[in-house]
Amino acid sequence: MLILVLSSCKKEGEYHSVSDKVEAEGKPYHGKLTSDELLAGTELIEITEGEHTFLIPEREGQIKSFACIECHIKPLSNMKGLNEKKAHWDIQLNHANGEIMNCITCHNADDMNSLNTLTGKNININLSHKVCAQCHSSQFEDWKGGAHGKKVAGWAPPRASMTCVNCHNPHDPSFDTRWPVQFNTQKAIEREEGLDH
Amino acid sequence: MSESKKRYSLDLGLNKNEVTSGSCGCGKSQGSCNSHKEEELSPDEFYEAAINASIGEERHRDGFEQVFDVKMDRRTAFKKLTASLLIGAGAISSCTSVVKDADSKEKAQIDWEEQFKGNYKLMTDEEKEGTINRLMRSYELRTGNNISMTAENAEDDVLFGYAFNISKCQGYMNCVSACVEENNQDRNSEMQYIRIHEMKDGKGLKFDEADDNYYHEVPAKDHFYMGTQCFHCDNPPCVEVCPVQATWKEKDGLVVIDYDWCVGCRYCMAACPYDGRRFNWGKPEVPEAEVNKNQHYLGNRLRKKGVMEKCTFCVQRSRKGKNPACVEACPTGARIFGNLLDPKSTIRWVLENKKVFRLKEDLGTDPKFWYFMD
Amino acid sequence: MGVLKVFKSLVIDSLDTITKGSVKYHIWMGFLTLVMLVGMYCYSIQLDEGLIVTGMSDRVSWGLYISNFTFLVGVAAAAVMLVMPTYVLHDIDFKQAVLIGEGLAVAALIMCLAFVVADMGGPSVLWHMMPGIGVFNFPNSMLTWDVIVLNGYLFINISIPFYILFRHYQGKEAKKSVYVPGAVLSVFWAVGIHLVTAFLYQGLQARPFWNNALLGPRFLASAFAAGPALIILVLAIIRSFTAFKIPDKTIKKIAMIVTVAAQINLIMLISELFKEFYAPTHHSESAYYLFFGLHGKDALLPWIWTAIPLNVLATITLTFNRFRNNLKILYVCCFLLFVAIWIEKGFGLIVPGFIPGPYGKIVEYLPTGIEVGVTIGIWAMGAFVFTILAKTSISIELGELRYKDKKSSGAK
Repeated sequence: MLILVLSSCKKEGEYHSVSDKVEAEGKPYHGKLTSDELLAGTELIEITEGEHTFLIPEREGQIKSFACIECHIKPLSNMKGLNEKKAHWDIQLNHANGEIMNCITCHNADDMNSLNTLTGKNININLSHKVCAQCHSSQFEDWKGGAHGKKVAGWAPPRASMTCVNCHNPHDPSFDTRWPVQFNTQKAIEREEGLDH
Repeated sequence: MSESKKRYSLDLGLNKNEVTSGSCGCGKSQGSCNSHKEEELSPDEFYEAAINASIGEERHRDGFEQVFDVKMDRRTAFKKLTASLLIGAGAISSCTSVVKDADSKEKAQIDWEEQFKGNYKLMTDEEKEGTINRLMRSYELRTGNNISMTAENAEDDVLFGYAFNISKCQGYMNCVSACVEENNQDRNSEMQYIRIHEMKDGKGLKFDEADDNYYHEVPAKDHFYMGTQCFHCDNPPCVEVCPVQATWKEKDGLVVIDYDWCVGCRYCMAACPYDGRRFNWGKPEVPEAEVNKNQHYLGNRLRKKGVMEKCTFCVQRSRKGKNPACVEACPTGARIFGNLLDPKSTIRWVLENKKVFRLKEDLGTDPKFWYFMD
Repeated sequence: MGVLKVFKSLVIDSLDTITKGSVKYHIWMGFLTLVMLVGMYCYSIQLDEGLIVTGMSDRVSWGLYISNFTFLVGVAAAAVMLVMPTYVLHDIDFKQAVLIGEGLAVAALIMCLAFVVADMGGPSVLWHMMPGIGVFNFPNSMLTWDVIVLNGYLFINISIPFYILFRHYQGKEAKKSVYVPGAVLSVFWAVGIHLVTAFLYQGLQARPFWNNALLGPRFLASAFAAGPALIILVLAIIRSFTAFKIPDKTIKKIAMIVTVAAQINLIMLISELFKEFYAPTHHSESAYYLFFGLHGKDALLPWIWTAIPLNVLATITLTFNRFRNNLKILYVCCFLLFVAIWIEKGFGLIVPGFIPGPYGKIVEYLPTGIEVGVTIGIWAMGAFVFTILAKTSISIELGELRYKDKKSSGAK
């Protein structure tokens, strides 16, 4: 009986806790699992921010009306006026308030294919996160490390993270309130029926 | 017929009689326990009986019913008994007169082997391959559709971890529904692995005052949201208490269940401090069109009634390098998943640079699921 | 082989005994059979549809079955209260009662196993639990310990009385050197089964209501009150329906045991209540739910407020010699105590363990008709088994059943 009791003592694991284990066994992962296959369909560019190097989706190719200079043949200041064609009527700027931001806070008025920093330095549309990072510095820190934002595909290396504008509409960056998604629940069914009436 | 070769049992030396009588260590000697009666049959007789019984049953079965249910209910047991008595009396001269076609026979063969296979945890890779092939074949025989089931083992140098950003979650519940669609949970009982708790600002983490069943526009004013699911504890109490080792921690840290080995005692459920486990109280049903056909033996394959199930961090996805369905579905990026052993992984950065905490740390369960705030 | 021949004749004779009896006996057995059949019908529905036909849910995952299981382990353990003085301390007063007590233990254990099987989601794969052909998670899982101790106790409690009766059947005295070691073992074993069953719950850090050091001792105290209380009631019935002589002295001695155990149980109850309510933490919520209800959910209130007064009343009454020695009052008190402890240790222990849930969710539990049907069926089975065992052993003890005069007893 005594032997039984003794043998029943839980086997102490090698490590006291999972953080000890992580510390002891952690090493850069070179296993055979990669996200390469999952990322195959996505155009990616590699960026290095601080000590982090990772992939983000390419942006220019995703914008329908790119390149901008196909319409913006002259600087923005020269295009204002009643005679010119109207454009971008669907864009309502809802980002900070008008005193702080307007179009040219981010867009380069003189080179419409690019963005610009607050000091007027040109920034490639693909690297738009640099523009956001000017104000949203804490979010930028989190994003570089991986605490903010989503991955493009899986957890396995190489790391490919969504960039700011993949989730946030730069003209209207905050998330709306909406009804929670329901799948196969009585509540969803009731709501659907309710909406029919 | 040498079933002992095909039967994926742990103890190949033992004969079938002992196996069958084993299911009746109960006081129900009056006959409610089917296998009790079968004790007296020889293995061959029993085998024939099982074939007859399962074929009869299969004809009027729905597509998504699991094959192994065949031997579980009482009517079948009686049928089986009757059939075996007939065989014993010599009323049926050959099995071909009862067995209508080859498919049915194959089905019965699969059922038989599945009923008496061993614990997945202890299987060799060939045995694992054998059982998933049988399960795929049996699904094909029953529904005419093909599924893909895999049995990937844990990778070396991988330990899965999860982080949840309380500041980011807005309570949209995309994760909850993505999880149900991915993991083939029972539709009738509206089973969900993830619960999102809506908490009032300024009250702290008051789970008992939180609402995990809200349905209104979110995020609600003055509320924040916190998701819970299986935390894949590094020291899981549920694994300790299982009397048959039907649940265990894999090398990559996933706490998994062998649905076919579970006896349904629900001790693990009582032992889980995180409400991480779910039980199939009735027969789980998923409409054929909604079945996710990319399955893993330990993950989202179709379950049967009377067994436990739980979140597996979508083992069928994560062992292929993908993110779990909840992580992928989350529109706010509140969910971070990755390899804890990789110092360059984002989950490691979160743990090292954010102020993280876990629920009920005082219980010593060591969950691999952390919460943090911006 | 002589022994086999005797055994064969014993089986035939006892079959003869249990199938013959008064009209009342036949009505009793017929009634039990009917109830068992109803229980089996309910169980067949449960097998067919799954545990969904019970009132249990993901939030309250154990209910009536496990409650009864827990209580009956206590009843089974209580047989030791009679075994110890009789076999070990050579107290002659208990001699007649002890066979009844052990018969009760056997019946209770069979019911325990039946309740566990009834609670299983997959009874057809229970062979997974068989050491050798399945995987037995010993020693990690307390449930495997419980399986071992319960089956071991069942074996002991069958074999000792069987040996004694077998000797008596042949008109011989049972050899002390054979059964006393077994009896001593069973004394420790009985404590073991109930302690292990308590550990089943006590070891769950997830359920603060159970995860408390007093649970094991309290299990023992309540078991040693409820078990002998049941034995007293059974002895009273046997006394009035058979020729089996049980002196008042025996019953009064058992009553003493009941009293002391009930007193200890009450002290522990007070200790528990003090801890839960003097400095309540959120771990006390289950106790609050049990005794006062939480957020308007109060399904257990009628139960527990029946149990506590009954318990207190019976214990106080039994404490006075004058009341205890009055057999009528004693029987009433034993009955009250039995009911009170059944509620307290069954429903009152298992269900609040799950309420509120791990995240404070309060979902109440109420057994369904099918669950109740299966439960009553299993109780009927226990009564049936006990009646058979008691009838046979009483016949042997009274000398009606003897190997030598097999012919004459067979003709009776």
